[in-house]
Amino acid sequence: MARNRSFNKRNILIVVVVILLVTMVLTGRLVYLMIFKSEYYAAKAQELHERERPIKAKRGSIYDINGVEIATNKPVCTISVIHSQIEEPEKVIEVLSRELGLSEEKVRKRVEKRSSIERIKSNVQKEVADRIREYKLKGVMVDEDYKRYYPYDSLASKVIGFTGSDNQGVIGLEVKYEEYLKGINGTILTLTTAYGVEIENAAEDRIEPQPGNDLYISLDVNIQKYAEQASYKVLESKSANNVKLIVMNPQNGQLYAMVNAPEFNLNDPYTLINEIANDYVGETISDEKLNELLNGMWRNACISDTYEPGSAFKIVTTTAALEEGVLNLTDRFFCPGHKKVEDRIIRCHKAGGHGSQSFVDGINNSCNPVFIEVGARLGAENTYKYYERLGLFSKTGVDLPGEANSIMHKLDIIGAVELATMSFGQSFQITPLQLLTAASAAINGGTLVTPHFGIEVRTPDGRVVKTFDYKTTENVISAETSETMKQLLESVVSDGTGKRAYLPGFRVGGKTATSEKLPRRTGKYISSFIGFAPADDPQVIAIVLIDEPVGIYYGGTIAAPVIADLFDNILPYLGIEEKYTEQELKDYDIGTFEVPNFVGKTKNEMKDLLKIYDFGDIYPTGDGDIVIEQFPLPGEKVNRNSALVLYYE
Amino acid sequence: MARTAGETNRKKLHSYYDYSLLFLTLFLVCFGLVMIYSTSSYNAQRLYGDATYYLSKQALLGGAGILIMLFVSKVDYRAYISKTPLIRIKPVTILYFLCILLQIAVIIFGEETKGAKRWLQIGSISFQPSELSKIAVILMTAYIVQLAPRRLDKIWGFIRVVFIIAPLLLLVISENFSTGLIIGIIMVAICFVASKKKAYFILSGLVMGALASLMIFFVDFRSDRVDAWINVETHEKGYQILQGLYAIASGGVFGKGLGESMQKLGFIPESHNDMIFSVICEELGLFGAVALILLFILLLWRIFIIAINAPDLFGGLVATGVLAHIASQVLINIAVVTSTIPSTGIPLPFISYGGSSLMVILFEIGIVLSISNQIKAQR
Repeated sequence: MARNRSFNKRNILIVVVVILLVTMVLTGRLVYLMIFKSEYYAAKAQELHERERPIKAKRGSIYDINGVEIATNKPVCTISVIHSQIEEPEKVIEVLSRELGLSEEKVRKRVEKRSSIERIKSNVQKEVADRIREYKLKGVMVDEDYKRYYPYDSLASKVIGFTGSDNQGVIGLEVKYEEYLKGINGTILTLTTAYGVEIENAAEDRIEPQPGNDLYISLDVNIQKYAEQASYKVLESKSANNVKLIVMNPQNGQLYAMVNAPEFNLNDPYTLINEIANDYVGETISDEKLNELLNGMWRNACISDTYEPGSAFKIVTTTAALEEGVLNLTDRFFCPGHKKVEDRIIRCHKAGGHGSQSFVDGINNSCNPVFIEVGARLGAENTYKYYERLGLFSKTGVDLPGEANSIMHKLDIIGAVELATMSFGQSFQITPLQLLTAASAAINGGTLVTPHFGIEVRTPDGRVVKTFDYKTTENVISAETSETMKQLLESVVSDGTGKRAYLPGFRVGGKTATSEKLPRRTGKYISSFIGFAPADDPQVIAIVLIDEPVGIYYGGTIAAPVIADLFDNILPYLGIEEKYTEQELKDYDIGTFEVPNFVGKTKNEMKDLLKIYDFGDIYPTGDGDIVIEQFPLPGEKVNRNSALVLYYE
Repeated sequence: MARTAGETNRKKLHSYYDYSLLFLTLFLVCFGLVMIYSTSSYNAQRLYGDATYYLSKQALLGGAGILIMLFVSKVDYRAYISKTPLIRIKPVTILYFLCILLQIAVIIFGEETKGAKRWLQIGSISFQPSELSKIAVILMTAYIVQLAPRRLDKIWGFIRVVFIIAPLLLLVISENFSTGLIIGIIMVAICFVASKKKAYFILSGLVMGALASLMIFFVDFRSDRVDAWINVETHEKGYQILQGLYAIASGGVFGKGLGESMQKLGFIPESHNDMIFSVICEELGLFGAVALILLFILLLWRIFIIAINAPDLFGGLVATGVLAHIASQVLINIAVVTSTIPSTGIPLPFISYGGSSLMVILFEIGIVLSISNQIKAQR
């Protein structure tokens, strides 16, 4: 056998040296990768391993003018199971199906499914979730989440709006103030395997969510409730299509209430309200149709729908004529029941005519021929000048999405007929809110305000971060004209067509309207009334529109009482005190008196005594014959017609 | 070697056994098992519901391999080139022709995985004949060379060796380029050690290099790998290597700690196979990786010592073959994993998952131990 010679050994050494050299090169390469490229590749690897899971930011609440929460969040929970961690599957299935009210097979299917995480139910009430947590079941996860919640359900639904699945605003103020309300979502960065399974116990990077800010608005829940009550009452009694009602502070444009009856439930916005659903009983509604109906249901008609304002628009015509100096209150007009304009005969609503009358009588009677003449005196250009000043050519700028603009004639095609019809509110369309804003300017001393809800935005801990400013244009008309307008409109309520809006103790001004809907002669009307109080210093202005009332449709008859009803409730609430005139005290039996002591009197004696005093309803209780207790107590000052409670024994 | 009582007072010749090599080997096998458990437990749990699925298979084969190694180390390595008593044929010849048959069999009956036939299924055991071919080539080359070592001084002597090995080499290359490459390196290394003149090696080295690059750049399947290597971050086939780089680089100096690798969680496909070194880097850091490389160097150093002290040329050449085999696999594997060269599938000796590879390497260490056993040391 051959020997292992020395050159063989040297050769082996060469081989080993080559190996060592290559090893050094590779070690160098490792050092390069693991020290100099470490950060670069490690960052890329981290990116690959991390998965972002958003944490929903808590959406800001909406508060009314008194700080009452009208849109907020309710904690809800999502229940899920992690298959690999479940130890007692039967117990898990039993508990979950019982607590969540789900069928056993449905729960079983999800519990037994081999997946990393399986959702059992979301939007679970917190109490239920807490109960499930109490069982301390392995593999059952309870994740807390927030759901938008509206404590007043349908109150001002089309104003407030609601949020969608991602907590983003869908309609109303929720959309308009999205940027303030939404907050900033946080993220949890978790490590996952290549199959997307989260790794437990891995350190989580967490970016905390920032809650949204709170919105404070001028809506007043109480006024809105009164307004809705009044609206629903007339909606039902007149079987109307819908009733719109807006209440505003005419001095600064703050909106106190905006009703679009029927409203819908904000906590269940995707279910059609009965008023709509009843038309489709027994029909299957296609998705497209449902979408259309829902959009209709959510529509805020107060700002999105236009109509012919009718006689209420005479406020604008009068204001313009007074301001332009083409009208004196003492000017006399003659109404034969109609007026011929070019080749057309335009009728007054009173068939026989109002005969000879002053302008004050004319507006009290809402006499069309009077206003045709006033319009003619103004002329088209001046008319449009005042329309412009009173904001009728532009949107009001209300802080709600979807506002419509007016539809007007082009100035150059306005002939005598157009001018005549425009003077009493026909042949063009505006939104109810536009009319309300124009009327406000006419009675507040001549300031065109921007109607609005939003007042300010505050952080969750109450720091004001934003106060909203709205455009106001002063002196669009003179203070004198405004003063005259207040007097004229108060006289419409006290002596004219608006007398059903009369409230003893309060000075109410207003104007009625009855607009025939297009196409004409279909018997469809919008009855409306615009009213304000107190007439000498307007603090509140309101407009009501009753769409397609059945039966009597005159605005003065059916719409004016709605405003009277509303004002009767909200004026005392707004701190406006009744001031009765001598005449009113007499006519309406108003005054106070001191309650005498009835204790010890017999039933027969009481009969005579009650004839002397001006009590309203008497509530006797007990079986006896002698009064032992009474409310109000003796010596108290009460209003006339107050109730009296008597206890007999 | 037997000792008699009368020899005690003289300088005695002891039979030597390289325990350092033995313990290094055992340590590497155990370390390999730890890393296989670390890298494979997630996938084993995911695919088989048993985190120790790969570990237990590898441990079983590793245990068997160690027993084989211990047995082989006690068999005189010269037995492979002496005629067997019964059939009068040398075992090395039998092994060589057996390997040729097995390589042919794999081409005909082989199990196809990922576009290449490499596996023979015998019962429930799948077996990679190309691994066995490595032993055959080591023994056969060493045998032929030591028959007439002076011939290697001329290029024709080398070519003669190549011609004898060529049938097996070509069969292996046809089904697995990487293993063919290793076998080629082993063959050249043995011839190199045996030859006194080197000039033709440089020449043939250049020719081989040219041929290899032709193969790499002009065979479709492989030029793709070159593209992937050059554009590792953008090429779709660079995915595995890129994931390996992520793992290596995110290890840093001291690593994330044993078992803390992220990349093994499905990002590196089959991280317990050829890419295991990248996870070692990720978990144990540069520190651990260099320590492992030093262990390999130590192991190779022991084999080198045995090679130069071998009692005869055959022993020295066989030890050289084993040295070349282990060194080339370690270096190529690390080079591939660090994206130093284009990717090719070579397992990391002792560590990567794979029974055939581990058994064959342990067998070879057994032969080297047997060579060491024949060294007569002075005490």
